[in-house]
Amino acid sequence: MPESEEQDTLQSASQGDLEAFGVLYEKYVDRIFNYVYYRTGNVHDAEDLTARVFYRALHHIHTYTDRGVPFSAWLYRIAHNLIANWHRDRSRHQEIPLSEAPTIHYKGAPLEVALMQTQERDSLLRLIRHLPSERQHLLILKFVEHMSNAEIGETMGRSEGAVKSLYHRTLLALRGEMEGSVLEEEPG
Amino acid sequence: MNPKMKQFADASIEKITSLENRLSGVLRPIKPRKEFVHGVAHRIQTGTPAAFVDYVSNWHIIAILIAGLISLAVFLAVVGRVLLSFLGKKRIA
Repeated sequence: MPESEEQDTLQSASQGDLEAFGVLYEKYVDRIFNYVYYRTGNVHDAEDLTARVFYRALHHIHTYTDRGVPFSAWLYRIAHNLIANWHRDRSRHQEIPLSEAPTIHYKGAPLEVALMQTQERDSLLRLIRHLPSERQHLLILKFVEHMSNAEIGETMGRSEGAVKSLYHRTLLALRGEMEGSVLEEEPG
Repeated sequence: MNPKMKQFADASIEKITSLENRLSGVLRPIKPRKEFVHGVAHRIQTGTPAAFVDYVSNWHIIAILIAGLISLAVFLAVVGRVLLSFLGKKRIA
């Protein structure tokens, strides 16, 4: 959808046009779902929270003002707040294991290898989910959405240079965490 | 750059590249279920979601109201006791 067309759709949606809001929903639902999924680690909560993001957006769309940032940034902000509430509410409960996550099948790999790859994937995802939310957001935009640093900067309200620097620091931190977790698993 | 430093830098770049490869293998786009996407779209079109929007916020408001009422009751009880004790002292005097 060209930017001018999206502006028109946004205008209509903010005036209560449900069909226009539906167009925005169709455009962004996958992105918000992916963001929420990788932040929560399970499909059930990702669906629940994604639905809430759009219900809340629909409820508040009349207050939306274009400040030169993409509409997706507004949706990500809503998602971020809902995820923060979700984490706070769940902090008293046990974490849902990532076994609920959709399994990625490694074609042609023997069972043991596939199992090891799944375990490795799960532990990496767990480490990612322990990063500060801003860094998780950056990794999701970079690897899931395949956005450039400039696009990420627009969405996150940072300069391209700041995104580059944050990305580098995130990788270093993640690498440090990985080395730490390997050492914890293999003492001595 | 001395050879040791160069070796260290090369190893570091290699590790980062390997981590990036692992991340691109792990962080893949996932398609939400069609039933879910259509279900939410339908609820948006029919305007039904308003009933359960922000129920968490409503719950917070209720909790704040209850806490406020309890605080008010405690405050009134304390003020009442203070007044009663003053009145009692005056009567004795």
